[in-house]
Amino acid sequence: MTFLNPLILFGVLGIGLPILAHLINRQQIRRTDWAAMQFLNRSVRVRSRQIRLRDILLLLLRCLALLLLVLALARPASDKDDGFNLPGEQRAGVIIAVDGSFSMAHGDENATRFERAVEKVKVISEQVKRGDPVSLVLLGGEHRVVLRNVAYDADRFAKVLAELKPTPESLDVNSIPQRLVTLVQDMDAPQKEVYLVTDTQSRDWGNVSVPTIDAIRSLAELAAVFLVPVTGSDDNLAVTGLDLVSGTLRNGAVARYRATVHNFGQKPAADVEVRCRVEGVQIDSKRIAMIPPGTSQTVSLFVPFYNAGPTRITAEITGDKLANDDVRHVVAVVRDTVAVLCIDGSGGPVSQLVLAGLLARADSGTRAGNGIEEDEGYQVDTVQWPSVPEKPFDAYDVVILADVPEITPQQSEALSDFVRQGNGLIWFAGENVKASQWNQVSDSAGRALLPARIGSVVDASDDLGVGKPLSPTLPDHAICRPLRSLPEDLLNETRFLKRMQVELADASVPVLSLAGTNAPLLLEHSVGRGHVCMFTTSAHTAWNNMALTPVFPMLLQQVVTYMVGREFEQPRIVGDSLSLFYVDQPDASDAVFDTPSKKTISVPVSEYRSQYLAMLEKSEESGFYTARVSVQAPGMPIAVNVDTRESDVACVDQKELRESLQETGVTVSADEAGLMADINMARTGRSYWRLFMISALCLLVAESFFADRLQGRRQSNKDATSSMSLKQENA
Amino acid sequence: MSDHQSQAGYLDPEVLQKIGDLELIAREVVEGLRVGSHRSQLRGFSTEFAHHRQYAPGDALRTLDWRVYGRTDRYYTKLYEAETNFDCHLLMDASASMSYASGKVSKLEYAKFLAASLAYVVLKQRDSVGISIFDSEVRAYQPPRSSMSVILQIEKLLRDIKPVPRTSLAKQLHDVALMMKRRSFVVVISDLLSDVDDILAGLERLRFDGHNVVVLHTLDPYELEFPFQGAWCFEGLESEEPLTTQAERIREDYLTSFNAFVEAIRNGCLACQVDYTTVDTSRALDEVLSEFFHKRQNTLGGPAAGARG
Repeated sequence: MTFLNPLILFGVLGIGLPILAHLINRQQIRRTDWAAMQFLNRSVRVRSRQIRLRDILLLLLRCLALLLLVLALARPASDKDDGFNLPGEQRAGVIIAVDGSFSMAHGDENATRFERAVEKVKVISEQVKRGDPVSLVLLGGEHRVVLRNVAYDADRFAKVLAELKPTPESLDVNSIPQRLVTLVQDMDAPQKEVYLVTDTQSRDWGNVSVPTIDAIRSLAELAAVFLVPVTGSDDNLAVTGLDLVSGTLRNGAVARYRATVHNFGQKPAADVEVRCRVEGVQIDSKRIAMIPPGTSQTVSLFVPFYNAGPTRITAEITGDKLANDDVRHVVAVVRDTVAVLCIDGSGGPVSQLVLAGLLARADSGTRAGNGIEEDEGYQVDTVQWPSVPEKPFDAYDVVILADVPEITPQQSEALSDFVRQGNGLIWFAGENVKASQWNQVSDSAGRALLPARIGSVVDASDDLGVGKPLSPTLPDHAICRPLRSLPEDLLNETRFLKRMQVELADASVPVLSLAGTNAPLLLEHSVGRGHVCMFTTSAHTAWNNMALTPVFPMLLQQVVTYMVGREFEQPRIVGDSLSLFYVDQPDASDAVFDTPSKKTISVPVSEYRSQYLAMLEKSEESGFYTARVSVQAPGMPIAVNVDTRESDVACVDQKELRESLQETGVTVSADEAGLMADINMARTGRSYWRLFMISALCLLVAESFFADRLQGRRQSNKDATSSMSLKQENA
Repeated sequence: MSDHQSQAGYLDPEVLQKIGDLELIAREVVEGLRVGSHRSQLRGFSTEFAHHRQYAPGDALRTLDWRVYGRTDRYYTKLYEAETNFDCHLLMDASASMSYASGKVSKLEYAKFLAASLAYVVLKQRDSVGISIFDSEVRAYQPPRSSMSVILQIEKLLRDIKPVPRTSLAKQLHDVALMMKRRSFVVVISDLLSDVDDILAGLERLRFDGHNVVVLHTLDPYELEFPFQGAWCFEGLESEEPLTTQAERIREDYLTSFNAFVEAIRNGCLACQVDYTTVDTSRALDEVLSEFFHKRQNTLGGPAAGARG
């Protein structure tokens, strides 16, 4: 027999209290001489012996009642079940945690893993007796407690179980033990059991971290832990990416998107069709002949834009065993035109090169006069420094500062506000740039406008007087994507003779660099909701031949496309928060988020850093959410995708699993028979606290009844004495 | 009387106990009391002149007042108040049960003060006081005397006696009755913790001899009220078996039995014309005596009236 509250056993010492009281009472018998003994004798001559006997008996009853009370509070439990249970007696508290990550929706053998997990839960629940405390948890990125410490009722439990569905979230293994420990501690039962029903994905259980192992061990110290694997095949294809590679997001333009399909299985996947849909309409389809196991294949999907505004784009595959990761969503904000302001400090040549780069299709461009160049998608205004543009910055999407010697703090503040609102700033170095003036302006501002402090101009040419080329190692940055498809020779031909030394700020990201030296050529950082790109070289041919190569227009247009993209275009992962910013205070106090399943969620609009923000704290579905300031307002779609790390549905080998969990005390129950055997072996018999408590109460009642009975007997004696006295008087 | 009341605290039995001198105690107790003389109801020929009346045939010639005849030529007879020769006999119970004391003064001690006070009253009237002390038998007998030394004799007699359990009261009273040669005023001071029939038989014996009998039933307040609480071991003063018990559980029984006993004594005394008074040893002596005399109304030598509570 074990005690769940062994410290209470010290309460047994309290048994000394009635004994002590008894002894003290014995010692407190006072003595006196007495003359009228005849009257005492007649009434209670034999009573003193009775009192002693009664006191001893009552003392024993009280001691025994106290002993049983202490034992009951110490919560005794036995390892054996004798089959006799008091009504309402709890035997085992059961916590069932079911993996609800989307990998559990992987289907084979005519059932998904989740459906088989539910069957396992039913088997476990058959071992739970009515009234036993039960908790049911759906595991995922955030673990949902469906039932918390409720008395088990088979019908209710089955109903709740039938409503369980896997979530589009990925499983957070590391937080499972702590969550379950909390539930175990909340549970009041002599025997606590935790059943973890999961598909034991290799990525989760193959290499469990040491802290997680320790946490599982702590959990196993509090309760008997059973890991119930629900395994399946590892065949799975997933669309792991859908990225804009090239092209501008303009009305009438065609953009090239890249869809990436990964084969997580052990078998090659053949003839995989990737379909591209825009606003639900299939506009492109590509086939991948073969995807070797463990590898990814990409296909280019060309998306024409016929309307301005946000556009929902999806890439999906079909015929896969796990549907959640077969589709990838992305949103493109298509514009009618992109307004660009170029402020040229070089006197003219640089702005011409920039203009040529932006309007690479020179045949389609038209000169509108007054320094304004237009084509189908771009409207470029050019002003010569230090002239001031006629329009405010807000009229433009991107501002280019080319070889501008200096700006005033007021201009710096205005540009900073311009970028914060979600616009873009491109800065080119040049001969006229006054580094100290720029640095001074940056230092005086609260947040530096440029992503780096400017140094001196350095020569980047080699001994032969030929500049160094672009580094062929390009990071996975949205700006670099079109360059990655260029042949390496083309990059090698782009030579840089001069550049400015820079000192990177903390949040700056180098995008392009010189080959061999890693000296940054293009830096990027975010300011507010917008971006600033900084070229450490000029567009002037005296500094490089970049403007003369195909790299420059591709790079410049991609930078502009990247900058005019809004944050809605950045796909989110299920579980991320979704936010909607407003520059001006919206009319409505609440914003509305429509979920992919057509539910409507209202969230309040709050002021945040001089802007207005509506935030949905957690996205729970994959697909397109629509955010709008009111029910009637046009919505802004936000793409939410599943975390494709969960797509690796390969399960860890059970032998390996047992070995990794060997020291934690967790029982891995493979099949149903093994699970039943493990449950019966580990389950303790019963708790005796109710029995002891009832016995103690019975003894107390008996003690009270006994005392009353003696009192009644005394009363009878008194009556007898009175009648005897009466008889004597009569006599 | 008012002076007496002002001395009530001083006359507390415990205070008197500290005085030691029994005569002084008796004087202090009695002083201030209105002591009615025990005049005879018969007016006869004695030394104390009362008044004259005309001679009637049959009157003794020696009672004629010749001087009045000489002045008035008429025969007048002198009437005198007759005075009885008053003997008071104090019977003190000195058995072991009388040694019980819930406070500092035992029943025997109180009885001693009571006897001394009564003796003082009687002696002040130039009457005689005799003393008998008994327990299981008559331990001492002092014939009536009219000297104040009787009071001192009480103390001396009590000092020499070692209390023993009493077996029968009737026997002792019978023995004392045999010793008394004249009809007397007999005061029995005892707790009477014996058989009721035995007690009444003894008193009837005294009444049979024509004695005027007064019973001062001397009891301790604890015996009257039994105020014990908790566990007590009662050890009998007359060799009874000790009894350990919860006092509050037997209190009701005790009081019932005890009151029945007292009532039986009282009724028995009434039946045989014995004056009965219960004396609580916690009360002041003068208060007890004052009340006693007041109830008797006239004199100690008056006719027995019966029981008084």
